[in-house]
Amino acid sequence: MSIDAPSRTEVDTERPRFSLARLVNRHLGLITFAILMVALEYGLRWFQVPDYVFPQPSQIFMALVRGFAPPFLSPSQYYVNIFTTLVEALSSFVLGSLLGILAGALVVEFKGVRRLILPYVIGLQSVPKVALAPLFVVWFGFGIESKILLGVLLTFFPLLINTAAGFASVEKDRVELMASLKASRWTTFRLVKFPGALPYVFAGLEMAAVYSILGAVVGEFVGGNSGLGVLILSRNASLDIAGSLAALVLLAFMGIALQRTVAFARARILFWAPVHETLDGD
Amino acid sequence: MHAREAAARLPDGPESGSTAPAATSPAVPTIAVKGLTKTYRSKREGHVLALDDIDFTVQEGEFVCIVGPSGCGKSTLLKILAGIVPHSVGTVTVRGRPPSDAANRLGLVFQAPVLLPWRTVLQNTMLPAQVLGLDAKAAEARARDLLKMVGLEQFAGSYPGELSGGMQQRCSITRALLHDPSILLMDEPFGALDAMTRDTMNLELQRIWRESGKTIFLITHSIPEAVFLADRVLVMSPRPGRIVEEIKVDLPRPRDLDTMSEPAFAELVRHIRGLFGIGAKDRPHVD
Repeated sequence: MSIDAPSRTEVDTERPRFSLARLVNRHLGLITFAILMVALEYGLRWFQVPDYVFPQPSQIFMALVRGFAPPFLSPSQYYVNIFTTLVEALSSFVLGSLLGILAGALVVEFKGVRRLILPYVIGLQSVPKVALAPLFVVWFGFGIESKILLGVLLTFFPLLINTAAGFASVEKDRVELMASLKASRWTTFRLVKFPGALPYVFAGLEMAAVYSILGAVVGEFVGGNSGLGVLILSRNASLDIAGSLAALVLLAFMGIALQRTVAFARARILFWAPVHETLDGD
Repeated sequence: MHAREAAARLPDGPESGSTAPAATSPAVPTIAVKGLTKTYRSKREGHVLALDDIDFTVQEGEFVCIVGPSGCGKSTLLKILAGIVPHSVGTVTVRGRPPSDAANRLGLVFQAPVLLPWRTVLQNTMLPAQVLGLDAKAAEARARDLLKMVGLEQFAGSYPGELSGGMQQRCSITRALLHDPSILLMDEPFGALDAMTRDTMNLELQRIWRESGKTIFLITHSIPEAVFLADRVLVMSPRPGRIVEEIKVDLPRPRDLDTMSEPAFAELVRHIRGLFGIGAKDRPHVD
C-alpha cells in the first residue's frame, strides 16, 4: 500500500466514486424516454406500420430538423408558424390574465360589480368556450385577432375565479390591522389584500399558460392562414404524419416553456409562500 | 404619571402626544365607555347579545387589563375601541372622539403576530409609516430603535417565516409602537407563547409601558398575568359580557417575577378566581 492511501480514502468519503446507480437515478426520466423511443423506433419497423399511420421517432426528428432549416432551403417555414402561434398565445395570456385579475378583484371588492357580472360569468363558464371558435372567426376574421380573443376568453375565467378566491382567503386579522390604522380601502388593497392573493393568482396563471396555447391552436384549426395549428392541418391533409407530430412536439415545448416561465416568476415573487405540492419531483 | 420623563428615552414618534390636547386634562379620560351594548345577528342563534351595558373609563397612562372566560365578548370590546367594529347602543369615546375617527390611530396587537410574510421584520415594523404616509427615513430610524429595544435588531432583514413565535410577537409589538400611538390595545398578545417566553414578554411589556408612558388596554384570560401587569383589572362575566367587578392592583412597581409569590398578589388572584367560581372550596359550602 502506498503512503498516501489513507488520505485518499478520506477524499473518497467526501466525494463518492462514480456510481452507475446514482447516475441512472438522477436521469431516470431521460433514460426511460430514450428506451421508449428506441423501442418505438424498432417496434414500428418490426411490425411494418406504414408512415402515414404512425411514423418512426427518427422520421419525426428529421421532420423537425427539416422544419428548422433556414427558410430559403425549406418550404415548411417553422419560424413564421411558431412566431404566429407564440404571439397569439402570449397576447391572450397577458390580456386574459390582466382582465381576469382585474375582474376578480372588482368582483370581490364591490358588491355591485359582483351582482352585475357574476351571473354572466357563471353562465359563460358553463359554455364550452372552444365551441365559440367558429363564431370568433366570423366576427374577427382569419387573422390573429380571433385566436387572441379565443385565448383571452379561455384564460380569463381561471384567473377571475382564482383571484376572487385569493382575495376571499386573505386573513381577517390583517384587514383589521389595517382598519386599526384607519388605512384607506386602496391602501389595504395594495399592501395587504393583493400580495396575500398572489399565491392563488399564480395558480391561475399556470392554468392560463396552458389555455392560451389551446386557444391559439383551436382558433387556427377553425380558420387561419398561419400558425402551428394550420401547419398540423396542412400536414395531415398531405398524410405527412411525421410533420404533424413534429408540430405537436413544438407545441409541447412551447407549453413547457410558458409554464416554466410562470413557475420561475412564482418562485421569485412568492418566495415567502409555503410551497404547494407540485408534480415537479425534487 | 409614571415615568413621563422616561418617555424621552424612546425616540419621539411622528405622532407624539400633542395630537390629543383633551387627554392631558384629567377631566376627560383617554377611553370612556358608557352603557355600551353590542348585539349581532348570527345564522344559528338569531340576535345575540355579546356585550351588555358596559361602563368603564381608562385614564391616560393607565394599564388596564380585562379578564374573562372565552367567548365573553372581550375581543369584540377591543375591536369596538379600535374602531374596527361598530357598537349597538351606548357611547364610546377615545380621547373625546368616536373610535372610528381617523385621528385615533392606535397600536393594536393581536393574539397572533399577524405579520405580512412577504415583508422583512423591518418592513413589517414600518407598515404604519407607509399607511400613514410618514417620512420613511425617520420611520426607519425609529423602527430600528424599536427593534433594538425588543432585541430583534439582528433580524431586521429576516422574513417572519424565519423567526420563532415569540420573536414574531415582539415584531408585532414594534409595529404597534412605530407611529407612537398614545394608546396600545392588546388582545391576548402572549396567549400563544410558552410560559417562560410569556414571563419574559410580561416583564418586557411592563418596561415598555413604564418607559413610554402609554395607555395600555390588555385582554387576557390569565388571571395572574392581569394582576401582574395592571393598575386595574376589569373582570367580565360569560356571555353576555358584563363587567362584574373592577379591582385596583396596588402592588408596587416595577414588579418582577418575585411579585408573583407575594401574599398580596396571591390574594388578588384568589379573589378574581373566586368571581369566576373557581376554587369554590375556599368559600362556605352551601347545600
